[in-house]
Amino acid sequence: MSGIALTPAAFNPIIPSSSSSSSKSQKLIRTKTRVTFNNAISISSDPFILDLAETLEDSVPTPQPLQNLRQASSHSLLSSPWPSRKHEPFRFNDFSFLRSSQILPAPIPTTTTTATDQFPCHISIVDGHFIQSTSKISEFSDGVYVGNLSKLNGVVAKRVLELVSGLDGGDLFWSINGMGAPDLTVVYVPEGVRVETPVHLGYVSLQGSKEGGNELYLSNPRVLVVVEKGGEVDIVEEFEGNENECYWSNAVLEVVIGEGGKVRHSYVQTQSMLAAHIKWTSVRQESSSTYELTEVSTGGKLGRHNLHIKQLGPDTVTELSTLHLSVGNQTQDLHSSLVLDHPRGYSRQIHKCIVAHSQGQAVFDGNVKVNRYAQQTDAGQLSRSLLLEPRATVNVKPNLQIIADDVKCSHGAAISDLEQSQLLYFQARGIDSETARRVLIFAFGGEVIDKFPNSSIRDRVRSQIKSLLDPSPK
Amino acid sequence: MAVSSLSLPFHFRSSPKSHTRRKFVFFAAASSDVPLLQVNDLRAKIVESNAEILRGVNLTINRGEIHAIMGKNGSGKSTFAKVLVGHPDYEVTSGSVVFKGENLLEMEPEERALEGLFMSFQSPVAIPGVSNDQFLVMAYNARRKKLGLPELGPLECFSYLMEKLQLVNMKPDFLNRNVNEGFSGGERKRNEILQLAVLGADLAILDEIDSGLDVDALRDVASAVNKILTPENSLLMITHYRRILDLLKPSHVHVMDNGKIARTGDLSMVDAIEADGYEPVSVLT
Repeated sequence: MSGIALTPAAFNPIIPSSSSSSSKSQKLIRTKTRVTFNNAISISSDPFILDLAETLEDSVPTPQPLQNLRQASSHSLLSSPWPSRKHEPFRFNDFSFLRSSQILPAPIPTTTTTATDQFPCHISIVDGHFIQSTSKISEFSDGVYVGNLSKLNGVVAKRVLELVSGLDGGDLFWSINGMGAPDLTVVYVPEGVRVETPVHLGYVSLQGSKEGGNELYLSNPRVLVVVEKGGEVDIVEEFEGNENECYWSNAVLEVVIGEGGKVRHSYVQTQSMLAAHIKWTSVRQESSSTYELTEVSTGGKLGRHNLHIKQLGPDTVTELSTLHLSVGNQTQDLHSSLVLDHPRGYSRQIHKCIVAHSQGQAVFDGNVKVNRYAQQTDAGQLSRSLLLEPRATVNVKPNLQIIADDVKCSHGAAISDLEQSQLLYFQARGIDSETARRVLIFAFGGEVIDKFPNSSIRDRVRSQIKSLLDPSPK
Repeated sequence: MAVSSLSLPFHFRSSPKSHTRRKFVFFAAASSDVPLLQVNDLRAKIVESNAEILRGVNLTINRGEIHAIMGKNGSGKSTFAKVLVGHPDYEVTSGSVVFKGENLLEMEPEERALEGLFMSFQSPVAIPGVSNDQFLVMAYNARRKKLGLPELGPLECFSYLMEKLQLVNMKPDFLNRNVNEGFSGGERKRNEILQLAVLGADLAILDEIDSGLDVDALRDVASAVNKILTPENSLLMITHYRRILDLLKPSHVHVMDNGKIARTGDLSMVDAIEADGYEPVSVLT
């Protein structure tokens, strides 16, 4: 019976709710039925994935508009293998602690945090659920919409849904989000409208378990930002959760920028050091549009950002500035991919990592594809890593694939301890080496932090990085 | 004149004040106040390659004296300066350096600086992400702390910094820029002198402060240095050119060759060097 429940997930929009029988027996039956459908859709034989898929199906009723997304996600999830170190994109990630846990979709929270006063426009997303009561959505004129998909008016909703379901997906985690997202939060900026106040997305993980517990709460927040022709908006994403708790945040942000539009995206990740934080950012840029990302990620036992940017027209501007910090036994991973298919694209990417723990790790896989028609592209990429402890690890793979022949592309990667000459310069002016190190490490990250457009974010991130690098402030 | 003096290296004394041969040094040390800096038979090598660069340097600098070291490229002038400030690329293999009566070689670079030894770097490194005023305030406060004075906030330091800024003829926005980042050659040199002006020093070592400077910048730098100097402060400059010597008027000129101070004289020795190069001057030792 539950085997049948899985099949429609792939082929039929109507997903029956599960029976109340125990999950043990369901698993057994399903393994049998899998064989039957194996040839049709090559369903995964991995019981963990099957179990996860079913848990997600059962977790929330499918909102009508998201049925296509669920269906496609379910299909791809069931045909994806669980990532292991044998798979190139996941070579340096250890997902075993996810796999050894019992994954529970985080329920709709009963208690919520209070809204922060800092941002006049604040969207509160708790455990993946949009919470109206703690959000502050100021009245926007000019047809700007910020909020839940279900309250969106018909014409815009139709437009938004076209964009949401028509996506070619990413990996298994993208699919998990597609299946498990309880709803869709939408930021819609109509043609020619410049939104003056930044839209703040505050993601909080409240449901967590103590270290060593078998249960792991999974949340799948999903946000879509649509900026029509000539529109502009600032998006600020902040992810946090309860310190010393285990949980799994599996977020997806999609951004679609119309012709000449502009999105400035700030992303700050300060999850619990025991959490898994896997995040997708998928951006599509129409001609002459601008996308600027500034990211600082410091939290999570495993923090992974999959950043995909696709150019849909010529003359786009893309600027990516990211800083990853590992101060504990943790992995920070950025997998970025920029695909240029049209002429005169301009891109600048700077990725910086600081690994300040002997068991800390940073991973960077930065791909830039300059395809045949992307002539006169100007693409630059630079990655710099600072390893501050013996055995601290960084795995960097900057890669440019260039097919067009009239382009200007550069990339570079540097891995080092602090520069001796810089340290000496401080000392030669009477500043002790410990202070000098602290200042230099901070200055290394400062280049990225300075790019946050919002000064309060800048200040907050600065003091947070300071306290992480130097837990006993002097 | 210069040539005849060169023929008498061991007895050469340009002025009654100078006492730079080793024997004189000992007499001077014994008979007068403790020298500000006393370097005895200093030998040092590059840590990485083990190459010996300094092969027995002897030098004494008293309070209020202005010394210049000249010498051809690779003779060890800059290495000498770097060894004095404690550059980690070099290891002292033998000899001694006494600064203000204390063993300089046992001190960390920052302790040497706080003790009153300042070196202007030949090519100061850029420090992205650290602004000039932030750096100056930090260094100034380290100095104040050493002197037992309360540390000052950035605003309290501001007028003090502005005053020093005028000394090197720079605009206030100079302070907002990151340390040496994107600075022209001249700006870097001015910045070194600004740091000297802010921090003060008992002994300032200026390593090729004049290279890469145009005439105006050189005059600015020299006049700033002259204003900083007091009868109690001493200066040791390393240079290839006469112009700065004319502006700062050293009482002692040394020629370094093959890791040693080969000759010592006064400004008149510079004429011989300008005329005939270093070879005949240093070969006489």
